[in-house]
Amino acid sequence: MTPRRIERHVRAFRLLLWLYPEWFRDAHGEEMAALFETRLKRAAGLGARARFWWRIVNDAVSTAAALRRRDTGKGGLRVETLLLDVRYAARHLLRSPVFTVGAIAILAIGIGANTTVFTLVDALIFRPPPWDRPESLVHVYQDSDDGEPSSNSFPATRDMAEVDVFSSLTAWSPSNASWEGPDGPEPVATEYVTSSYMRTLGLDVQRGRWFSAEDDVVGGAPVAVVSAPSWHARLGSDPDVVGRTIRLNGQPVTIIGVGPERLTSTAPPLRTDFWLSLSATLVTGDAQVANLERRQDHWYQALARLAPGVTVTRAQSAMDALAARLAEEYPEFNRGRGITVFSSTDVRQHPQGDRALFLAGGLLSAVVLTVLLLACANLANLLLVRGLSRSGEMAVRSALGASRGRVARLILVESLLLSGLGGIAGLVLTRLMLSTIPSLPLADVLGGTLELAIDGRVAVFALALMAFTGILFGLSPALRLARTDVGQALREDRRGATGGRRMVRLRDALVAVQVAASLVLVLGAGLLARSLGALQTVETGVDVDRVAYLSVDWAPSGLPADQIQVEMEALRERVRALPGITSVGLASRLPAQPSGSTTTEVEGYVPTAGTDAVELDFAIVTDGYFETMGIPLLRGRLFTEDDVPGDDQSIVINQATARRFWGDGDPIGRRMRGQGSQDWTRTVVGVVADAKVASLGEGSTPMFYFSTRQFGVAPRYLVARTDGDPSAILTSMRQELTAFRSSAPVNAQGTLAEHFGTRLGPPRLAARIMSLFSILALLLAGLGIYTVVSFTVARRSSELGIRMALGADRLGVVGLVLREVAGVVGVGLAVGLALAVLAASRVGDVVYGVSTLDPLTLGGSVLVLLLVAWTAAFVPARRAARADPVETLRAS
Amino acid sequence: MSHSHASSPTPVRTPVYHILLALLGRDRHGLGIADKVERESEGAVELGPGTLYRSLSEMAEARLIEPVPAPGQDADPRRKYYRITADGRELLAKETARLSRLVDTARAQGALAEQP
Repeated sequence: MTPRRIERHVRAFRLLLWLYPEWFRDAHGEEMAALFETRLKRAAGLGARARFWWRIVNDAVSTAAALRRRDTGKGGLRVETLLLDVRYAARHLLRSPVFTVGAIAILAIGIGANTTVFTLVDALIFRPPPWDRPESLVHVYQDSDDGEPSSNSFPATRDMAEVDVFSSLTAWSPSNASWEGPDGPEPVATEYVTSSYMRTLGLDVQRGRWFSAEDDVVGGAPVAVVSAPSWHARLGSDPDVVGRTIRLNGQPVTIIGVGPERLTSTAPPLRTDFWLSLSATLVTGDAQVANLERRQDHWYQALARLAPGVTVTRAQSAMDALAARLAEEYPEFNRGRGITVFSSTDVRQHPQGDRALFLAGGLLSAVVLTVLLLACANLANLLLVRGLSRSGEMAVRSALGASRGRVARLILVESLLLSGLGGIAGLVLTRLMLSTIPSLPLADVLGGTLELAIDGRVAVFALALMAFTGILFGLSPALRLARTDVGQALREDRRGATGGRRMVRLRDALVAVQVAASLVLVLGAGLLARSLGALQTVETGVDVDRVAYLSVDWAPSGLPADQIQVEMEALRERVRALPGITSVGLASRLPAQPSGSTTTEVEGYVPTAGTDAVELDFAIVTDGYFETMGIPLLRGRLFTEDDVPGDDQSIVINQATARRFWGDGDPIGRRMRGQGSQDWTRTVVGVVADAKVASLGEGSTPMFYFSTRQFGVAPRYLVARTDGDPSAILTSMRQELTAFRSSAPVNAQGTLAEHFGTRLGPPRLAARIMSLFSILALLLAGLGIYTVVSFTVARRSSELGIRMALGADRLGVVGLVLREVAGVVGVGLAVGLALAVLAASRVGDVVYGVSTLDPLTLGGSVLVLLLVAWTAAFVPARRAARADPVETLRAS
Repeated sequence: MSHSHASSPTPVRTPVYHILLALLGRDRHGLGIADKVERESEGAVELGPGTLYRSLSEMAEARLIEPVPAPGQDADPRRKYYRITADGRELLAKETARLSRLVDTARAQGALAEQP
């Protein structure tokens, strides 16, 4: 066990010491903890530790009770009776293991699922950001070409900082790098930030120093501040970290400080590993340096501290004025481009992404709340039934002189003990689930690694709700008993009582609730599964069979771009020579993958609003790419050796681009230019068929292709078509790379079919989570129905016995019971359907390719639930029908 | 696990007997007593923290043992050391004699399985 885990166990033991009288705790607490620790270290393995804890708790409860009993004469509390109750309750629970394990499992699922999801949702949506006085901190965004608040060019953030409505402004830009760790290169998240960053956020480093003005100058010494999570996780909390030199993308960077403990990144709960100074921009490459002066590149986000007394409205009008000035000074970049100010309390990740974030968070919360509701209903049912079955025992206790209070307290203690055990199991489950979150494809969706910690408030809330349910429903049979005559209860018990009419109705209602809730979840799971199916069969526009790809990470080599291009071309030649390869190409991206886009003006095209330009996705490819991917040429030509470097660039566009800008007209020979450029330098030479650009769910999306011969940037993807098995050729491709440049690591590889498979990751994850929850829901509902039917049957056993004695056949008896259940399930289904229709109108954006309430999913879900309900009812009904009528009558 | 709450028919509860025995040779602190008891019973008697310190507390009250200053320099000053008193020795002797008689009786009646 690690020292931290031991520490945690010892802390739990110290809590247990509160059972003892104060004088005893003061005298022996420390030594008892020491003894505990020695013994704990010997208990290796989960089973041994559980047994060890069982002994420890038993020892503590019994000795504490004895000590307190002695003390009561001296005016101590009567804790000892309570402790005896706990012992009694524990023994009692152990005597019915099925009930105990079932109840603890229900509690654990309810608490675990909720704590996990709300921890996630809280971190993503609700938790206040870690910076100082968030109300006077604002985000400032320049518009995108579509006129939506988006991101800023670095020169624009310099202009913003000079406006006096802000006391301080910082620009930051997320990036990635390859870090040379002790176990080889690892990808890390970085943020380029200005020296005004900490001042603006109102925070400070916990060690070393933050960047100073000299660090904002390109050409100065590259320096970094390591984030606290990364300092702990990657650098082992090294106390001498300041002054240490690390290598990022093969270049030396000096660590000058450690970030504040609470700050994981500028977009929490995402995690950044290093903040880099602007003097370190060369680490990411020439483009990162160049864009510091380019008004056409929008790579930076801006956070600003309002000057004292300045409101968001006043800052906004100052930015409107700045936008107008920039439009005048740089019309080619900024005409019609607004600047928007948001209070930092109104933005979570980004104004553009927040809506999707809230929707996903809301849906997930609704799903787990439903599970919690189900768990509560189920626990209530279980306790009611158990309480009733124990009414006889309770009556005996009353008859023997136990006060009503004492009887009620026994049940109360039992409920609390159950809740406590369930809560512990739930928290263990939460830890397990939270530890798997970073490995989920979620990081892909959010664009980074999450830094999560269990949210104590949520755990307490879920536990309190469950404990409340436990007490309420555990106690109600006891209270009912307390009100009635003891003799009556004893007589009732011998007849196998299941409680009054009101109790029966309550139980029926609980079952109906469970059926309704599970229907909603099953329906949701069905929809997501069908949506996933629709995505899997979506037309990618690419011939996916027999293609393999490899992506080479040149960053650690530190080679310049033109040299990388030479290397990639050489690798391509080697792979082309492999047996079985029919064509090979290089590309800067794969289809259905978010990647580069650029602001472009199209000759003769007048955008409807905003600036003169449109944002278009692009890829840089070599000859052979289209052939390898199976993207057919529709018009004109593909790239040839005639496309030489020069002022006039040939571009190939896809069909969607042709249709958007030129309708049915001929696009060949039409021209485009990069925004800011004075000349129409890009000429359309060919049109190819559409392939998915950024995601599988998108409609037909415009994009264009550059030739590597004319672009000067080296593509990282090597794609190859074979006439055999593509995964076999992948191995040869890797061998070629290793033989050729063993130092260049591969950062992605696979067949094209696999690539599209991973693009299905997030929807598949959603479908899986929903399926898991709906299976849980079905299990819980099934269990609920089963208990109710069992007791209905038990209550009516004498009636059923008489019917059988009078000649009713077994089928008739089973039918009678099933008909009664059908009513309850019917009500539940109706309510569930109504809820599902209501919910379906809200999830239209999430499901792809399925109308939200298609009959197949709907019918299937109802059928599944009916089947579960029927099975749960059938087992006890058949048992009743098989019973010997004479026996049944005699027993009553 | 010990059942310290049970009103045992013997005059001395098991943990008390074991603790007295452990203190016979030299003064020890709680942890040392627990170790020795466990070692000499070959693991059969493992005094839980509550049982051990409750017994020590009650035994000190009954003057069977008494707290003493930590012996020597290598001793841990934070720990409380105990020494067996004359009363304690007397009780131990009586109980041992009683157990010994009990064992003799048991043996005479053929309680040891391997005897013919």
